[in-house]
Amino acid sequence: MMQNILLAIRSLIARPLRTLLTTFGIVLGVAVILSINITNRSTLAAITRLFSESSGRTNLVITNADLTLGGFDEGILYRIETVAGVDAAVPLIQSQTLLADDSQRNEFNVSFFGIVPGGLLVYGIDPAKDTLARDYKLEAGTFLTEDLNEFHIVLVREFAEENNLQLGKSVTIRTPAGNARLKIIGLISREGPGQLNNGAFGVVPLDTAQKIFERPNELDQVDILAAEENRSPQELDALKASLQDRIGVQYSVIFPATQGKRVSQMVSGYQTGLNIFSIIAIFAGAFLIYNAFSMTVIERTREIGMLRTLGMTRWQVMKQILLEAVTLSIAGSAIGIGLGILLARGLIRVTEVFLAQDVSDVHIPISALLTSAGIGILVTLLATVIPAWQAGRISPLEALRIRGNSDDTSAIQRGLRIGAAVMLVSLIVIFLIPIPEPFGSRINNMAVLGMMFGGALLIPASVGLWERFTRAAIRRMYGREGQLGSRNIERSRWRTALTVAALMIGVAMILSIRAVTIAFDRDIRSWIDVYIGGDLFVFSSIPMRNDLQAKLAAVPGVDAVTPLRYLDIKRVKPDGETEPLALTAVDPLSYSQVTSFAFTDSEGDPADFLAQLAGGDTIFVSSVLAEKYGLKQGDILTLKTRRGERDFKIAAIVVDYYNRGMVVQASWRDLKRYFQVNDASAYLVQVEAGADETTVQQQIDKLYGKRRNLTIQSNQTLKSSALNLIGQTSSLFDVLAFIAMIVASLGVVNTMTMNVLERTRELGMLRSLGMTRWQVTKMILAEALLIGVIGGGLGLLFGLFQSRVVISTVNSTAGYDLTYILPTQGIIVSLVIALFVSQLAAILPAARAARLRIIEAIQFE
Amino acid sequence: MPILEAKALRKIFQLGEHTVHALDGVDFAIEKGEFVALMGRSGSGKSTLLHLIGGLDRPTDGEVTLAGMQLSLLDDDKVTLVRRRNIGFIFQFFNLLPTLSTEENVALPLTIDGKDLNAYQEQISTLLRHVGLDGRRHHKPDQLSGGEQQRVAIARALVTQPSIVLADEPTGNLDSKNSTAIMELLRRSCDELQQTTIVVTHDPRAAAYADRAVFLRDGLIAKELRFKKSIKVEERLSAILKTMENLPERN
Repeated sequence: MMQNILLAIRSLIARPLRTLLTTFGIVLGVAVILSINITNRSTLAAITRLFSESSGRTNLVITNADLTLGGFDEGILYRIETVAGVDAAVPLIQSQTLLADDSQRNEFNVSFFGIVPGGLLVYGIDPAKDTLARDYKLEAGTFLTEDLNEFHIVLVREFAEENNLQLGKSVTIRTPAGNARLKIIGLISREGPGQLNNGAFGVVPLDTAQKIFERPNELDQVDILAAEENRSPQELDALKASLQDRIGVQYSVIFPATQGKRVSQMVSGYQTGLNIFSIIAIFAGAFLIYNAFSMTVIERTREIGMLRTLGMTRWQVMKQILLEAVTLSIAGSAIGIGLGILLARGLIRVTEVFLAQDVSDVHIPISALLTSAGIGILVTLLATVIPAWQAGRISPLEALRIRGNSDDTSAIQRGLRIGAAVMLVSLIVIFLIPIPEPFGSRINNMAVLGMMFGGALLIPASVGLWERFTRAAIRRMYGREGQLGSRNIERSRWRTALTVAALMIGVAMILSIRAVTIAFDRDIRSWIDVYIGGDLFVFSSIPMRNDLQAKLAAVPGVDAVTPLRYLDIKRVKPDGETEPLALTAVDPLSYSQVTSFAFTDSEGDPADFLAQLAGGDTIFVSSVLAEKYGLKQGDILTLKTRRGERDFKIAAIVVDYYNRGMVVQASWRDLKRYFQVNDASAYLVQVEAGADETTVQQQIDKLYGKRRNLTIQSNQTLKSSALNLIGQTSSLFDVLAFIAMIVASLGVVNTMTMNVLERTRELGMLRSLGMTRWQVTKMILAEALLIGVIGGGLGLLFGLFQSRVVISTVNSTAGYDLTYILPTQGIIVSLVIALFVSQLAAILPAARAARLRIIEAIQFE
Repeated sequence: MPILEAKALRKIFQLGEHTVHALDGVDFAIEKGEFVALMGRSGSGKSTLLHLIGGLDRPTDGEVTLAGMQLSLLDDDKVTLVRRRNIGFIFQFFNLLPTLSTEENVALPLTIDGKDLNAYQEQISTLLRHVGLDGRRHHKPDQLSGGEQQRVAIARALVTQPSIVLADEPTGNLDSKNSTAIMELLRRSCDELQQTTIVVTHDPRAAAYADRAVFLRDGLIAKELRFKKSIKVEERLSAILKTMENLPERN
């Protein structure tokens, strides 16, 4: 055995380039799988830990049932505490604020979850009770005292240091009434609750918080600690029920982990994207490994034939090849694990940007290491089985025989039949059989893959057609010798087919990604245009009093101002279940002066829609919602308000992707009436014609910027930052397509090298017949060019098809209203890349062919 | 003036630690229209001589002059052009392109030279008749027998009307019947087309078709036999066999 392993290692060392390529395939697969696994786990762990640590030992959480701004009266505490099984009820009030210090301006973070306010998160707590639920790790000074009226604050140390705040000194924070000065009496570490709001976090005594934020006797949340004996899941369920019973339906009692779960759901979409990476990496790796081992077998046909004449059995030959694969896969997996861990760090950084959430420590679970290495070894073995089997089939005679390499015509015929059948079935599935969601879109996507697979099976039978089709063009480019080369494509059809398929997938990916991005981009751009209407966007991370509208309107150069208010609400479904939604409140009159809605699928006059909205008890719903629930104009939607459940008539359907499209629009009047809110989240400002936008922006900033903690941004900036985010998402997919193209190009290198190797003697003959080195080079390049043409052509075909299916799927399932735009740029780019890649990849094999020493070549067998 | 002349040809190979003198100072010349057989055991240097004459390799020392051109003065591309237009090669393994038909294989040297094939249709037809493959113009190599494939290769070697045809063991892969047919074809090409031909062979029956048999041994010409046109093949064969017996092996 040891002898065999040494033999395997020696044979690997003898072909360093091939070995390197194979190793690259294994490393690629293992590293990508591992790094994605690590990233996903670390992200998930970070999010759940954040929620579990910040809620600490809390067993149940009580909040207001409708998550509209308001909290609830603290009088409820008594009712809660007297419920049997409750050990402690921990009151909490929270507020988002800012340091009054000018240097700390609003930060506006656009993230996947929407708009994330920066600034400081302040919890008002009762220290005696709160420390039962949460662990604050004091690093310096003292913690809050029992006196709930002290103007004290405890901050996270890093945050204090970053803002030059010192222990013992005081800090001024923004409040609705102006400013409040608090003494910094302690610093805590960025652990447990200290991680909240990315560490921009502080605690103040409960009563002080209620006072400075002008919310007397109000609470946002009560955390429940169950008595020791009541902590089993069943007991907690019972306690949850009896609490709910006691305090009534206007409150919701939830398990703290469900908060984390909600976020995890949002993350899962992103993770699915990453998992697709894994699958592609496995395929790409397998393709490279298969290719490289096939090449080894071809190169060693004579040697293997000789070994067979010496009495080696087929199984022994196979075993030797597989042993090489195992040896290599172990080495490759080891490197892959190292690289995977490095890659994970980078990927986690990207994730942090997407999620606007720190993922501080990296989890490297042993199981993930074992899984990825296991997959690496398994895939290598699987990819080697066919070449090893072929090696086993080599007859002893072949050691002596001239190698004829005609393809098995029956296999080509079979490929033609199966390929056509698969394509036909896929087409029928896509166009003729309506499959209900949630399976429909998945099955459609499978059918698109089926189309590509079927197309790949057709390649061997159709290369001749392609050759004839492109003959004139290739001749013009590479002359007669080019034509000789392109005719060679008819020789190793299956090998060619594999490479063409790899190219085809790469091109199809580039194209469909382009097409989908363009469609999204245009749709979102037109939405953003109206959504962020006007010229300037004025916002603050603390709610703005509505008197600001008149003040802003009075600023010289301002033409019109309209307020916006975003609110988290709940909708009551017909079955009584509730579903969280976002509500955007607008003032229809001023809104129409600044910007407009993008109505869709709505019949009637837009001005009339706005009038209906202003009339009250009326809403607009987003196209996403309308699609999801089959809502139409005139339908009724029930929302939970502070005045109970209310029915709203749907006046129109609008395009709005705020909160992933889960959004309705209401009038300012209803906002005040039903939700008892009268402050604004943002103002849209229209600058007078002829007035300079920047001057007006500066003017507003000078007048109210500092005093009211406003951030004023030009809509141009805002739009570009939002579009940037879309760009980032699609660039993630571009990376994917890029990897696919790299793998395809390695496939071209491999295939052409194999062809050159196999035809060494023939090339020697051509050289002796008077072919120059350059002519040989052109011949090889022409053959590769044809591979590029077929791959590019088929990729174009399937890519266009795929992108149409994807867009119609997105439209029918997610309620988007994307219009298909022919991605002209994508077509050109992907075709150019396909041709360019085929030529670039063929340079090495072509040089190898041109360098052949004639005498050795004609004696080569 | 000989069509081909080799002077003091030496070729030394370095095989690991061993220095092999494949050719050790060979003088050799061939007149236009002459048919020469190069004979010798394996390792005698006959193939090396053929490679040097054909411009496939360069000598360590000495000079090859073909149709007035000194090959050692030419770079690779120029030598390639000489091969393309002045030399026709015939190999033991035929080496036809499997994707091309008989006709296209014959025309291959013209294709490589960028010639307009239409102008050569008649010449190609004549050649195919000459080699007896008139009826198989559109067949692919895998539809032809070994003997037929070699005849295609001969037509291919003749199509450029080269100064010299070099055949390396042309019958090495054929049965005796096909071997005879191939040698008769080469003989006929020499007689009818005045085609200068060198055949490297270790088969005395094949060599018996030549006007001159040159025996190599240890990188040197050991013996030459010249035959008058009137001498029959059988008589040539017995003379060659006798010479081979009288050439003892030397170490």
